[in-house]
Amino acid sequence: MNFETIYKTYWQKVFRLCMGYANDTDAAKDLAQETFIKVWKQLPKFRNESSIGTWIFRIASNTCLRQIQKDNKMPKSELPLDIKDQIIDTNIEKDIQFLYHCISELQEVERIIISLELEDMNQKEIAEIVGLSEGNVRVKIHRIKEKLTQKFKKNGN
Amino acid sequence: METNVDLRKIWNKQKIETPKVEILYTKANKLKSRSFLKLIVVNIALLLTITFIGFIWYYYQPELVTTKIGIILTILATIIFLLPFNKQFSLLTKNKTEPNSKEYLQQLIKLKEIQVYEQNTMLSIYFIILSLGIGLYMFEYVSKMTITWGIITYAITILWFAINWFYLRPKAITKQNAKLNKLLVEFEKLNNQMND
Repeated sequence: MNFETIYKTYWQKVFRLCMGYANDTDAAKDLAQETFIKVWKQLPKFRNESSIGTWIFRIASNTCLRQIQKDNKMPKSELPLDIKDQIIDTNIEKDIQFLYHCISELQEVERIIISLELEDMNQKEIAEIVGLSEGNVRVKIHRIKEKLTQKFKKNGN
Repeated sequence: METNVDLRKIWNKQKIETPKVEILYTKANKLKSRSFLKLIVVNIALLLTITFIGFIWYYYQPELVTTKIGIILTILATIIFLLPFNKQFSLLTKNKTEPNSKEYLQQLIKLKEIQVYEQNTMLSIYFIILSLGIGLYMFEYVSKMTITWGIITYAITILWFAINWFYLRPKAITKQNAKLNKLLVEFEKLNNQMND
């Protein structure tokens, strides 16, 4: 698979994962971009030890988890201006906003797990990405979904 | 989905235009050349220092063995100071395949711990070796001065080392550790979430 195909196939997915983690469009774009720079650099070394999706999402989750470190290092203004213009989301719909808001109240690792789950990854893949047992992932997903549903119900949805 | 709120449907509504891939290439190349440049600059600084000291050795032809030991110690100190910088690079690029997040966090924690150790120990070793090196190096030239000037020269040098050791060194260590420890706490926190 060449890089540009990967980029086209996975950008949305990775962006949504980062958005679930950061709940901030600019930060999510930065994280997605950083993920793909890493993918681009490491692609020649990728030997199909796992599926390409699992591999990309591993890089994405790790990039998110390392974000605290980056906050001190890289100024946010580094994004080229023209990326900003391509965004169509300034009015993301209310329910998406609320979903992101609820996810952002979870613990960091939970945010990643639920984002992967919503991205339609199966529990085995999530376990491989995060490094937990499948059983553990199942329990966590169940707990997180309960929390989110509660919040949605309270909010009157 | 077992819940009556369709989270996945909401989730999938988030659409964003994919930025042009060329923008990514430009950014990647910029980052690459920047970190490479940093590495080069640091190592050139090291090389220049060593060349300069080597030149002194060659040009002034020191007679005493203390001077030669002094020179070697000074070079050693410079190398020790720059070693962790080069090693950090290899630690970051060594990973072949991407580890899962749990392993990744553990690697980050380990890396931070190594950095804390290096900053505390290496910085102290650096100061000791450098002071010793300069002190020994000076001996040959000071011994040719009158006693009074000799004492004044060494007194000033020792005072300078003392300021470095008792004031600048602890200050540098505290500052670096505060930053690293903050990160360590954050990574530990994330790591604990894995075990919940």
